[in-house]
Amino acid sequence: MKIRTMGRHTREGFKNLFRNGWMTFASVSAVSVTLLILGIAIILSLNIQNLSVNVENQLQINAYVADSVPTHSLPVLEQSLQALPGVRSVKFVSKERALQTMRKQLQQNADLLNGLGNPLPNEFVVQAIDPNQTVSVAHEVKATPGIQSVQYGQDFINKFLAVITAVRDAAIIFIIVLLVMGIFLISNTIKVTIFTRRREIEIMKLVGATDGFIRGPFFVEGTLMGVLGALIPGFILNELYRWLVNSVTPFPPFSFLSTSFVIDRTLTILILCGVFMGIWGSLVSVRRFLRV
Amino acid sequence: MIEMQDVWKEYGNGVAALSGISVQIKQGNFVFVVGPSGAGKSTFIKLMYREERPTKGHIFVGGFNIEKLRERQIPIMRRHIGAVFQDYKLLPKLTVAENIAFALEVIEASRRMINRRVAEVLELVGLSDKGKMFPRELSGGEQQRIGVARALVNKPSVIIADEPTGNLDPENSWAILKLFERVNDQGTTIVMATHNRELVNACKKRVIAIENGQIVRDQERGEYGYED
Repeated sequence: MKIRTMGRHTREGFKNLFRNGWMTFASVSAVSVTLLILGIAIILSLNIQNLSVNVENQLQINAYVADSVPTHSLPVLEQSLQALPGVRSVKFVSKERALQTMRKQLQQNADLLNGLGNPLPNEFVVQAIDPNQTVSVAHEVKATPGIQSVQYGQDFINKFLAVITAVRDAAIIFIIVLLVMGIFLISNTIKVTIFTRRREIEIMKLVGATDGFIRGPFFVEGTLMGVLGALIPGFILNELYRWLVNSVTPFPPFSFLSTSFVIDRTLTILILCGVFMGIWGSLVSVRRFLRV
Repeated sequence: MIEMQDVWKEYGNGVAALSGISVQIKQGNFVFVVGPSGAGKSTFIKLMYREERPTKGHIFVGGFNIEKLRERQIPIMRRHIGAVFQDYKLLPKLTVAENIAFALEVIEASRRMINRRVAEVLELVGLSDKGKMFPRELSGGEQQRIGVARALVNKPSVIIADEPTGNLDPENSWAILKLFERVNDQGTTIVMATHNRELVNACKKRVIAIENGQIVRDQERGEYGYED
């Protein structure tokens, strides 16, 4: 194909968008609606993913050191904890530090601690590499000599992981169902719009246009409709999400991913999906009318 | 130029539209194809640019063996034939000039060549001032002249026209016929199916009459010969 022909197809594709105004509107709307819902699903799942990472990162084992362990052997104990299989990190919190933290938490009631000396033990904060292994790691930590007791929210961990997994699976199924429905909706819309142009296609063929030549502008048109159909929900989602982030203050472990992070990723996916849907829809439909 | 050898055409419902047609049309001929409605004229015409395929027999048009044509060669073949239709078959969303240019764009002609040729044929059909208008803004006669201009723009060696004056008043019908005579004078073969008795009788050209799918008459300087 000559470059001037590609230029011609591009020009015609653009012109067709306007010449077939209502059909463009219908097709772009179908793509937009589908991608808007897909975009919401993507933003939700990105944030759920983020939430689960947040929570998993906060899953920690508090290992309390027996008072009998002398200060100078604490580094040795830290090393042996670090050496346990499945341990990601070990952080030492001295009893003095723990007391300070507690005073801060108690705020005006910190006076209660006066005269008690320091009742708190030295502590190691241990994190498992795999959050799902927190429980078994905790058992190993507890079995280490010098560790008096361990604490970890095992009930919470188990329930939370179960919920996260279920939400994730549901989101995936939801997205797949939406995509299938969207593709169906779009292909029908485009079929209807192209049906009205079958006469034009027939004329083009009678004048000696090859199938490829007829498809050219449809290809361009489909691409443009896909991009348009992605940019519209992209813009809406951008505004909505920014508004949400600015007006709702989440409490830990909930937090919003930044608008730019979320919209960059979502928009990329939407444009890819939109272009795919647009091209695919146009070409599949035009093929039916090329047999003249 | 155009040759049919024992051509048969049956449609899916078993109706035989053509039964054993053989005919030769030489380069530069001007041929009217006449006959009652449903006699097979349209099928005869459609076979020539491969809108229909023969059930049996051989068809040669300008060096192309029609029944052996591959799918991808059909467009190439059609570019050597100028086709004119009763319903004009103009693209409604393209301007007059763009409609004509389309036939050149498919052969990937340069913009300069397209502009030049479009202007030439618009002048030939006397519609130089209508290039920027859309088909719906033109009268039927003007639309058909655009149809002829489009058929001519590729300088085809043959023009095939199926009832080109079927929707036109006598005045416009004559205008179309005069156009055909002018391009025929320059050596282009014209095959025109028609119901227009006045045109046929006035022109004294070769007349091929088809009835019941067979050629019943083929005479030089013929007459229309029907009462309808």
